[in-house]
Amino acid sequence: MVRGGSMRRPSLALAAVSEPAAPEFTLSADDYRLMEEVGFGANAVVYRAIFLPANRTIAVKCLDLDRINSSADDVRKEAQIMKLIDHPNVIKAYCSFVVDHNLWVIMPFMAEGSCLHLMKVAHPDGLEEPVICSILKETLKALAYLHGQGHIHRDVKAGNILVDSPGVVKLGDFGVSACLFDRGDRQRSRNTFVGTPCWMAPEVLQPGTGYNFKADIWSFGITALELAHGHAPFSKYPPMKVLLMTLQNAPPGLDYDRDRKFSKSFKEMVAMCLVKDQTKRPTAEKLLKHSFFKNTKAPQLTVKSILTDLPPLWDRVKALQQKDAAHLASSEQEALSMSEYQRGVSAWHFDIEDLKAQALLINDDDPTELKEDDDSARINEGTSFESHFGQSMLLNGNNHSERTCTTAVNPGGNGPETSDEFASDLGNADSPRMVDGHIKQGTENDSLSSTSKQGSEGGNRRSEVRQRQRTFSGPVMYSGTRSSSLIERGMQELDHLINKRVTREESMILVVRFHFQLVLLQIVCLPLFGLLEDMWAPWET
Amino acid sequence: MKGLFKSKPRTPADVVRQTRELLIYVDLHAGSRGADPKREEEKMAELSKNIRDLKCILYGNGEHEPVTEACVQLTQEFFRENTLRLLIMCVPKVNLETRKDSTQVVANLQRQQVNSRILASEYLEANKDLLDTLISGYEDTEVALHYGAMLRECIRHQSIARYVLESDHMKKFFDYIQIPNFDIASDASATFKELLTRHKATVAEFLSKNYDWFFAEFNSRLLSSSNYITKRQAIKLLGDMLLDRSNSAVMMRYVSSKDNLMILMNLLRDSSKNIQIESFHVFKLFAANKNKPAEVVNILVTNRSKLLRFFAGFKTDKEDEQFEADKEQVIKEISAL
Repeated sequence: MVRGGSMRRPSLALAAVSEPAAPEFTLSADDYRLMEEVGFGANAVVYRAIFLPANRTIAVKCLDLDRINSSADDVRKEAQIMKLIDHPNVIKAYCSFVVDHNLWVIMPFMAEGSCLHLMKVAHPDGLEEPVICSILKETLKALAYLHGQGHIHRDVKAGNILVDSPGVVKLGDFGVSACLFDRGDRQRSRNTFVGTPCWMAPEVLQPGTGYNFKADIWSFGITALELAHGHAPFSKYPPMKVLLMTLQNAPPGLDYDRDRKFSKSFKEMVAMCLVKDQTKRPTAEKLLKHSFFKNTKAPQLTVKSILTDLPPLWDRVKALQQKDAAHLASSEQEALSMSEYQRGVSAWHFDIEDLKAQALLINDDDPTELKEDDDSARINEGTSFESHFGQSMLLNGNNHSERTCTTAVNPGGNGPETSDEFASDLGNADSPRMVDGHIKQGTENDSLSSTSKQGSEGGNRRSEVRQRQRTFSGPVMYSGTRSSSLIERGMQELDHLINKRVTREESMILVVRFHFQLVLLQIVCLPLFGLLEDMWAPWET
Repeated sequence: MKGLFKSKPRTPADVVRQTRELLIYVDLHAGSRGADPKREEEKMAELSKNIRDLKCILYGNGEHEPVTEACVQLTQEFFRENTLRLLIMCVPKVNLETRKDSTQVVANLQRQQVNSRILASEYLEANKDLLDTLISGYEDTEVALHYGAMLRECIRHQSIARYVLESDHMKKFFDYIQIPNFDIASDASATFKELLTRHKATVAEFLSKNYDWFFAEFNSRLLSSSNYITKRQAIKLLGDMLLDRSNSAVMMRYVSSKDNLMILMNLLRDSSKNIQIESFHVFKLFAANKNKPAEVVNILVTNRSKLLRFFAGFKTDKEDEQFEADKEQVIKEISAL
């Protein structure tokens, strides 16, 4: 057997690397000393570390393999993609090896952390345009490279754009990247539901359509807004609402009052990325030629301005963690999850565990939380029909959803003890008796009356029906959709998801169902929102 | 005026021919003494460009989907001569980006059909030594991932998989899987799994013929490995193999052995829950076997109370009806012994 020390990574003689040449990293944990924690994700922690034989600072990503239930293939692909990266703007892996049940990935250390971090610490309201421009250009070069290789990054966001001390900008984290060229078969598009909700392109959320590397361009546009404002659009909303808003609302843009300071070409560039029709979005290669990037200053010059007088990365990370801890102590547990969510800590896979965690975030009893502060400040110019439309929808939509939300809340609250029963019956998609069920039941429904009412219809279905009725709300909203039990059911689900007065298990189940039945929800979305338009913006239809 | 002298656009066959000429040049001259470094650099750049062009024809680019007719032309010209051999042999000589492009080209060609024939498969059958080259790539960190990816595509062809299964290379995989470089070891592991699960009848035949040495190695090197991921992938693969209907004879043989049972019972006590669960899916076969040999019964009876106690507290994190049903069945079988 080959021993750890003898299998060394050969230096890439043929690659033109701008950084100091990497030493030959060994595959033995003893040669590395882990220092401070500098980042964390769903199943991984990133440490600053010293490679002792060369006394070189590097980053070690420790991935807990025992917590990963998806196939080992995904981990393999991630490690291999990172190993074969050779581009100045993409984080590569020097090597990787197994230590106990962790996978250690040895990577370059980016001393200033992510752009998200930098904004949290010193620029909560976003960055200046020249800085944004250089960061975006570097990111775009990274995307052009990855796309040329057939990879979709799938998690482009400020939290994954890393900065090193001299102002070097690199795109990192391939936890979710997929290869279009995978296995020689050009799959036209991928069909998995992966990413971080705020940054996800509409087609990623749409079942059946599939998506390709243009999804990264959308995320790139969202990232531009994130850098300009300090947070992604919709980031104050719970994930499920974000999903629906992404599908339903007009694309976000740089058209708020305070965006006046940004140049026309910047706004135009963002608008090109945030087109819902993916075929109309430019490729990364094309976007690089946009006038916005014509006179971009070198990141070494611009990024420096945001790096002055900052404490070392690990202290910043610690401070942010403590802030969260304080947050946790002062409010409920959901608050932490929410803040994590807003900070953009994403899980790599939109899987059940992840959804379960995110469902926890569903918490907007407080109406102020629902309100995206900027929406009301949108400039009322209505440059195009679409944006005008989107705007009025948005304004009305907010007010109304708050109102419906409050009426929809089940006064009795949902007891968690029923969730198991609920889980036991997932198969009855469109049993007709449910139609009567909801329509007769109003917002004031309580579990007792509905149980007794449905008791005669067959005991085994009872609990499910009861649950359904309890989540049902706002009879006015549904009055037009009697015709189809399918739509009813989907609306209930949507309502349930949007109005969030749900227990943890329930929402998980719903979310899982959401995941598997996106098609159903698609069908349902249109009539539902058609209906909402009727109610809220009759002049638009 | 300019238009008049513009060269005609190259056909896919032209690109293949040029690539082949450049490969021949690089194969002969690269790294050799007395070569003109500048000329060599030019040729290398030209080769990279041509291989990139091949990739674009086969996969399309960001804007255009691949054109079937062009792919057919390319494939025909490619396999008319020894282009595949040259391309594989030149992988160590070209730069990283061109290596990746070459890998994708080779991978894609394995699926191209010309008049419903797969030329790649026919070519490989006549040039099986290329597989020896690809497999030994795992011993060279420089090319391991490229050759590994090519190899996995080649063994999609049943005849090629059979060749690899029947070769001495199978023994080497037990080493490759445990290479400390995770990216290489996991690649070997993925190929190993593909070999042992893709072509059912071929696999069943291989396992029956090679039962003794194969499972001896499998048990002692993979299932008893100290490397977490090796162990976890091995136990998962064992379950996949034994639970496959086509391998039922092999399964019966495996679950009739006391030694195998002991290994599985040890894995049930592993510190990782994931390994415990995967082990259970194999252990249950021992218990469910209607014709348990006396030695297996003896062990189960001796450990009956411990096993029952263990299963009483043995649960998956998420509710899993199938698992619970299997567990009930196993408890019933063991109690009734």
